[in-house]
Amino acid sequence: MWEFFVRSLDASTIFTIAALSELLGQRSGILNVGIEGVMLFGATLGFMVAQSTGSYLLGFLAGIVIGGLIGLLHGFFSITLGSDQVVNGMGIWILGFGLTAYIGYPYTGPLGMERIPDIFGLSPFFFVGVALIVIAWFVLSKTSLGLKIRSVGENPSVAEVSGINVTRTRYLSVITSGMMMGFAGAIYSLDYNPVWSNNFLMGWGFIALALVFFSMWNPYILLAGSILFGTLWQLSLNPQLVLPGLMSRYIWRTVPFIITVGVLMLMSTKWFRTRWGAAKPDALGLPYIKS
Amino acid sequence: MKLGSYEIKLEKRVALRGWEATAISTFAILFALVVFSFVFVQAGVDPLTGYKEIFSFAFLSSFGLPLTINRFIFLLLCTYAFIIPMRAGLWNIGMAGQLYAGMLSAFAVAFAFGGKGSQGLTLSPGFVIPLMIVAAIVGSAASGAIAGFLKGKFNTNEIVVTMMINFITFWVVARMIKEGGLFMGSSGEGEGFKLSEYLFAPLIKGIPFTVFIALGLGVLLWFLFAKTKLGYQIKVYGKNPIAAKYAGISPSKIPVMVFSLGGLIAGLAGYHYFAAVPGVYKITKNYGEFGDLAFYGIICGLISQGNPLAAIPIALLFGGLTNGGRFAQGKLKLGFGIDYALLGVLMITLVAFQFFYRYKIVFVKTEKEK
Repeated sequence: MWEFFVRSLDASTIFTIAALSELLGQRSGILNVGIEGVMLFGATLGFMVAQSTGSYLLGFLAGIVIGGLIGLLHGFFSITLGSDQVVNGMGIWILGFGLTAYIGYPYTGPLGMERIPDIFGLSPFFFVGVALIVIAWFVLSKTSLGLKIRSVGENPSVAEVSGINVTRTRYLSVITSGMMMGFAGAIYSLDYNPVWSNNFLMGWGFIALALVFFSMWNPYILLAGSILFGTLWQLSLNPQLVLPGLMSRYIWRTVPFIITVGVLMLMSTKWFRTRWGAAKPDALGLPYIKS
Repeated sequence: MKLGSYEIKLEKRVALRGWEATAISTFAILFALVVFSFVFVQAGVDPLTGYKEIFSFAFLSSFGLPLTINRFIFLLLCTYAFIIPMRAGLWNIGMAGQLYAGMLSAFAVAFAFGGKGSQGLTLSPGFVIPLMIVAAIVGSAASGAIAGFLKGKFNTNEIVVTMMINFITFWVVARMIKEGGLFMGSSGEGEGFKLSEYLFAPLIKGIPFTVFIALGLGVLLWFLFAKTKLGYQIKVYGKNPIAAKYAGISPSKIPVMVFSLGGLIAGLAGYHYFAAVPGVYKITKNYGEFGDLAFYGIICGLISQGNPLAAIPIALLFGGLTNGGRFAQGKLKLGFGIDYALLGVLMITLVAFQFFYRYKIVFVKTEKEK
């Protein structure tokens, strides 16, 4: 049972970092529905580099760098060209999904490196995740940079008039966000489950995207949601640990997705929105063209 | 920017004419194919040889052409499943889940009437085959309707919902065909039961009859969008859902409508590939790959700018490219997943080219300074 709990927290780490990265981008008004694609890139490139060089550090760096580059690409399409952010995000997801299937294939199989040492049984990245949540909360709500990010996400024209460079702030957010997505992917393939197989994320990125909507754009609620979904995910993989023989293991795999739909539905009801006042950034998904 | 005595400027398009859209789309595809040649170069293959192999297998060989046509039908149906919600400004990325739902429903009918393997049918195939198609349509339309209902009723993000349903249905299929599931085949190797020969869909000159359904739907959809009230309402909703509401168009009805229709067509794709393609006639082990292939529907839909007739040649081209790609992969000893890589490259090129659907480059002659 303890092991199950620890594994759940390990899984939640990936949801935490991935969803936090999306939250950061969305706070600046940039929606990236291609998060799963960026994570696939980070996971695959991180895996390839770590295996070829034998260095975890280089693997993680590769994941972070490719994530940042994809974030830059998303920024170029969404900020500079002002194209539809959903289309761009879809493009990034399909690019990641298609290209990593091809480039990663020769690396199919286990990583074959000594496991990253744990701290009290937990992955060290769990603590990194919690620290990132606190940092993100602090930066977003207590610093002038956070105010800038939030204001370009709420009302870019007013932000521009008050002297904030909207383009620069959005680029900064979207690139940092991409780097964190790549990092989250690399944690999956180098620490959580160090085996490469085709399209192995199977929905982690999309659940992380949904988690941002659940969190009402608040990092602490996001952390709680990530732990809940990490546990759910772990339960769906190993139901025999908790409820042996209840349902087919394949049906267990559907549980996190069904609950995601259910919670998402609840959160979008009028009752919920008026009761809890979701803090959705006003300019989310809208291109800003300086006039 | 200045170039000699000309100034190059970007100008926002007021309207996109048919020929302009065609030119941009064609250029986007060609550009993607040029970019993709790097994959060949990196694998040590001359890109021209690579493309020649792909195209000659896909369109000129007597073995490859029928395979291309089967894929073409599948992709065209997936494209239509995407286009209908797209016209209403909504994203259906649930073609995979919807086609699995259609496939499962069709096989449930076959199973119920004793169409499993060599068992005798309890009713005539003339009755069971149409019933399978109806079941596929109903099952997949219901699957699509969930996302539409949630969008219309609660404004729930349809991208996340359709994607979640993809995963849910993926695992339900696994449950049905593996580890003693009802639809498990007799060999028990993780694939579904083989349809009884009576239930093989009719072929016309070796091509599944579903080709007529797919092409017929193209014309029908063109008519729907261009000439009917519903088509007009979908368009208005797509341009501005709030304005549509004031114009008396129900904001909860349109999403349900477009997602049910889209789902329905994806279900036909599921029926087509798993119950009508010669040599398949079962839920195969690699059904997930067909779910992935369905994402080409997104690209076809975007390149054709939602035009159901323009989608026909594009789906044919992509059917050929993916089919020929798999062949070339084996013949030229390329890595696995060349069709996946192409999917990625095409998609991102298209995203970059979106810009040109909205802007045009104009050359303005500047007067020489005196």
